[in-house]
Amino acid sequence: MKKVLTLNDVCLTYHTLQGETDALSHLNLEVEEGEFVGIVGPSGCGKTTILSLIAGILSPSSGSILLEGGDTNSLKCGYMLQKDHLLDWRTIYKNILLGLEIQGRISNDSLDYVADLLNKYGLKEFRNSYPHQLSGGMRQRVALIRTLALKPSILLLDEPFSALDYVTRLSVCDDVHRIIKQEKKTAILVTHDISEAISLCDRVVVLSHRPATVKYIHHILIEGEPLVRRKSPDFAITFDKIWKELDIKL
Amino acid sequence: MKYSLEHEKYLNNIRKKKIWIIISQWGVLIVLLLSWELMALTGVIDAFIFSSPSRIISTLFTLWTDSNLLLHVGVTLYETVAGFLIATAVGTLVAIGLWWCENLRRIFEPYLVILNSLPKVALGPIIIIWAGAGTKAIITMAVLICIIITTINMLNGFVEVDKDKILLMKTLGANKLQVLTKLILPANVGTLLATLKINVGLSWVGSIMGEYLVSKAGLGYLIVYGGQIFKLDLVMASTVVLCLLAGLMYYLVALLEKKLNKK
Ligand SMILES: Nc1ncnc2c1ncn2[C@@H]1O[C@H](COP(=O)(O)OP(=O)(O)O)[C@@H](O)[C@H]1O
Ligand SMILES: [Mg+2]
Repeated sequence: MKKVLTLNDVCLTYHTLQGETDALSHLNLEVEEGEFVGIVGPSGCGKTTILSLIAGILSPSSGSILLEGGDTNSLKCGYMLQKDHLLDWRTIYKNILLGLEIQGRISNDSLDYVADLLNKYGLKEFRNSYPHQLSGGMRQRVALIRTLALKPSILLLDEPFSALDYVTRLSVCDDVHRIIKQEKKTAILVTHDISEAISLCDRVVVLSHRPATVKYIHHILIEGEPLVRRKSPDFAITFDKIWKELDIKL
Repeated sequence: MKYSLEHEKYLNNIRKKKIWIIISQWGVLIVLLLSWELMALTGVIDAFIFSSPSRIISTLFTLWTDSNLLLHVGVTLYETVAGFLIATAVGTLVAIGLWWCENLRRIFEPYLVILNSLPKVALGPIIIIWAGAGTKAIITMAVLICIIITTINMLNGFVEVDKDKILLMKTLGANKLQVLTKLILPANVGTLLATLKINVGLSWVGSIMGEYLVSKAGLGYLIVYGGQIFKLDLVMASTVVLCLLAGLMYYLVALLEKKLNKK
């Protein structure tokens, strides 16, 4: 399999007036094409920082990051944040076109691709609606399609379900999994929710407390949709293992 | 659409309440005017000092026929609207500039605070000397009163835009101009409307204050003139016209708001 992303001995230190914070320390990670990698770790351990580095919003203090054999670049990444951040004054369709519009990539081809996505994922009837008319789960789907419209080589998901209520979350989880697998995208999901990581990912990376470093990597052998995976006996076993490794103390 | 009886009842109740409120609103005005008129007629209050609705109406008529009410209205309206538009436009542009350059914002923050708390009327004599004793001075006064608060309000709106939304724009590859035009400005249409509403009131304060200081025509001029020659009818009549115009201007802004919100 082709490697899409390599993090090589990456360290990052934040500097603020209050002092310096070591967020990442000698972090190594490789991601292959088409893989769905989960990163779990305690709150504040540096998960968001990793994604910011991959997207090229931050540069590492030391170490190197290779994305598709080249430099990191936010244009190669599709970043999905905790909240959908749809713009209230744009219709769903206009929201989805936002990235293409900004990058000056509106063309017959890209519009066809978007129309195709809208069709496939049941957003066609909402294209002229405004975000406030959609449910939380639907809005998150729109946010995902907005990201996919740019054909990113890697998707970065930063706790994308944490703003949703629990029941919605389960179905949005399924939804996102289905779409990402169907589009054959490489994705990195950051979360503090262990069961979310196990039910979505092919591989789960467990991070230590801050400064984050890779503690353990689990290959998830359970197959299928997230909701199906949650019923597997292996699910509970893996959950337990990761829970112990996370070593959460009150 | 057919509703259940209970729902019809509920809707009816709400409708009744609404009608009742509107009737009461007019009622208050009518009772006030009638008792004013009555007290003036019966001599409870001195109509020479307190004027009366009928005297105000007849004054309005004489103003209309003899001394060109429309000219005075036109002059004041021109000053107010000019001050209002200039202050809103320039104030918003300054806010955009300060948003764009953070250093500039930090340098000018204390100046904005001081200028905001300064009573702008105190600058009257300076304005008259610099801008000349005329319409220009009055418009300058209106602009000065509105512009600082416009800048402060708009800038606050700009910086309060969700940092994560800006991050999202950046991950989509937006440059600063795109962040401004596609996120910051559209996100602040509401702020602009709120500012416009404040400016409607303030620009009238500015133009009338200006006319108190220097003027040869206008509603403020009529009010000052009426006070000087002790014609309270003239003062009251001009004030009534002022109320109507200010109300009308506010209504127009509210209409604009409704139109934008519908979209
Ligand atoms: N811009 C920043 N400046 C200074 N410290 C930061 C900044 N962003 C994050 N941190 C600190 O770095 C650590 C890791 O942050 P983050 O990557 O957001 O954690 P996580 O996403 O795992 O909750 C935290 O302790 C946080 O306080
Ligand atoms: Mg985070």
